[in-house]
Amino acid sequence: MSENKTYSRLTDQQVEQLKSQGCRAQDWSAVTVAQGFDAGRVRDAQFEGEVKIGSLAGTVASASGLDRPCGIEEATLINCTLGDGVRVANVGSHIANYAIGDGVCIEDVGVVQTNAGAMFGNGSEIEVLNEGGGREVSLFNGMSSQFAHLLCMHRYRPKLIEKLEAFAKSQADSVKSDTGVIGAGVKISAVARIIDVNIGEAATVWGASALVNGTILSSGDAPTLIGDGVQAHDFIIGEASKITQGAIVAKTFVGQGCQVGKQFSAEGSLFFANCEAFHGEACSIFAGPYTVTHHKSTLLIAGLFSFYNAGSGTNQSNHMYKLGPVHEGKMERGCKTGSFSYMMWPCRVGPFSVVLGKHTRSFDLSDFPFSHIEAAHDGRCMVVPGLNLSTVGTVRDGAKWPTRDRRKGKVLRDRISFDVFSPLTVGRMIAGSDRLQELKDNTEKSIDIVTISGAQVKRVLLRGGIKYYRSGIHTYLLDKVVSRIEGAVEQGGGGLSQALAASPDAVYSEKWVDIGGQMMPAKRLEDLYAAVESGKIAGLETFELALDAIHDAYAEDEWAWVRHAYKKIFGTDLDTITASDSESIAEQLLAVQGKFLSLILIDAGKEFDETTQTGFAQDGSDADRAADFKAVRGEFDTNKFIKQMRQAIEDLNTRIEKLKQALAVCA
Amino acid sequence: MSDTTERVKKVAAETLKVDLSMVKDDSRFVEDLGAESIQSVELVAAFEEEFDIEMDEQGALGVKDVGSAVVFIEKHL
Repeated sequence: MSENKTYSRLTDQQVEQLKSQGCRAQDWSAVTVAQGFDAGRVRDAQFEGEVKIGSLAGTVASASGLDRPCGIEEATLINCTLGDGVRVANVGSHIANYAIGDGVCIEDVGVVQTNAGAMFGNGSEIEVLNEGGGREVSLFNGMSSQFAHLLCMHRYRPKLIEKLEAFAKSQADSVKSDTGVIGAGVKISAVARIIDVNIGEAATVWGASALVNGTILSSGDAPTLIGDGVQAHDFIIGEASKITQGAIVAKTFVGQGCQVGKQFSAEGSLFFANCEAFHGEACSIFAGPYTVTHHKSTLLIAGLFSFYNAGSGTNQSNHMYKLGPVHEGKMERGCKTGSFSYMMWPCRVGPFSVVLGKHTRSFDLSDFPFSHIEAAHDGRCMVVPGLNLSTVGTVRDGAKWPTRDRRKGKVLRDRISFDVFSPLTVGRMIAGSDRLQELKDNTEKSIDIVTISGAQVKRVLLRGGIKYYRSGIHTYLLDKVVSRIEGAVEQGGGGLSQALAASPDAVYSEKWVDIGGQMMPAKRLEDLYAAVESGKIAGLETFELALDAIHDAYAEDEWAWVRHAYKKIFGTDLDTITASDSESIAEQLLAVQGKFLSLILIDAGKEFDETTQTGFAQDGSDADRAADFKAVRGEFDTNKFIKQMRQAIEDLNTRIEKLKQALAVCA
Repeated sequence: MSDTTERVKKVAAETLKVDLSMVKDDSRFVEDLGAESIQSVELVAAFEEEFDIEMDEQGALGVKDVGSAVVFIEKHL
């Protein structure tokens, strides 16, 4: 930038040359230039107030990718500072009150202006989740999903909220300025209106309609794109994000690595890392990491989502024409909604569940993760607990998210726990399984349907749910224990008890929580609350560092949880495990995980069965159907996922055999 | 006709909400009796309850018709 650059007054000769090239100034003495300034590169320009101009040498890349000569052409600049190597051309009205960095190219714009006391989107208060208010989140540039989640969702801790609001205000106030910033390397082209917007380094803003009161965070290693027809008001957009193709964004925070486009409109919403939003609409939502909505007619309203996929026509309603739009919905991580699914809030959906149909009654299925939730014809919620545990979709989702992290740059603000199976989800399975067992034990066989938390389950499916959950719980716990045993064996087998011990720094809570995509023991959260409320954590930086430390402790905290859960489920204290017990545990894992993987294969196989081939070879004979299907969809045996699953089964067998041999040697 | 076959047919008819007379020895649950994906899961659960057995899911999900269900269940009895 030009802050440390020395600017000198124009020489009389330069002023005369500029005048001869159609330039005017309110006061030529207020126009200063850096060393190397070439007056020949400035024509038809008007200068008002204090204007500082860099060297203007060479060329600069434009938004379209062409190298264009640096200079100022047909532009009015008011109280602006320009760095070196800048091109400003064809400014319809003016650029006012901006510090423009080195290598910036601004062409074909209408108004670019910062007003006195601009906040650049910071401090904009948005009504997340509850449209009626009460969960307002005040935006600031460095907001993480964890910070926003606590501020929005934990209103039952008023002192915490008071402190977090103070942190947010402090951050917002720190950017207040009479001068906006357009960072080095920014390219702006064909934009009608930019008012009170800070634009970070290397961002491209090309064809946007209007950007008002916002910040575009961007850096050389994580450039941000704002594209055609975008209208954004009261916003912050994170690094490496793309807002394009007519998106309308108002009172909205878009985090890092997000994509919003194809006429999507968002209002009063927060989107965190790697969200994708096209075509549809969002209103007052908290879109945690990896919230995805791609289709028209999809309205996400007043809901909490993460790792979520919205089918076309997905819809919710947050009021019943009574006290206004005050109802909220919580879809925990990993959920999907089928085409034209509808939920009347309030509802709470457990992690990794699929929701189908039109639900007109409230339910809370948070203790029943991985469930199939389908509406009956009369709007009642029918649930098949745990059905999605061994579906191919769940497995594919779990594998794909970590590979689709589009965030770039040095600072990744949102902490993301990717594990599908974790103390959070497995803990819920344990709780759900206990509830199903109790219902099963206490329900007469003459009863067809039982009710749980507003939803209904066919009684015969209770035992299925228990089985599904048992399979998931066992697979997770045994896998974790075997991994530890493998670690001990690799070290020579002598340190089994040490390998199975909990770290002294680990924190155990039976209950785990998901804070904006970061999973942690409830005790860690309690400690964080206390530290903030007591003033021990007195600012945003230390708050975020504390969250980093919790994130770093995930594996050890998880292990502490596994030890407790293992004892509860299997009745065995891991401190007493011997080498021969280890072999038995390994064999149990082989059995249970092998079965689990086989079920996934069976589920994947349904994608290749006769029913799935319906409609193929429509102009051919019946005999052509299989050939058409094979040409389009391939074959079961050669499908990439099928091969991966088969390999996983083979690897599991190899893994267990290897471990058993190593244990025999150690014994 | 074995008792197992009769009971399998009865469970299938009740679970899939079809008339018992429609359920034949060789009826396929999906193609002939219209079982949806979830109903297949219900069928397995209903068979388990009717016969007081725990069916291996891998095998159970491979059961496509009344005849194979009878064979599969009798193995578990």
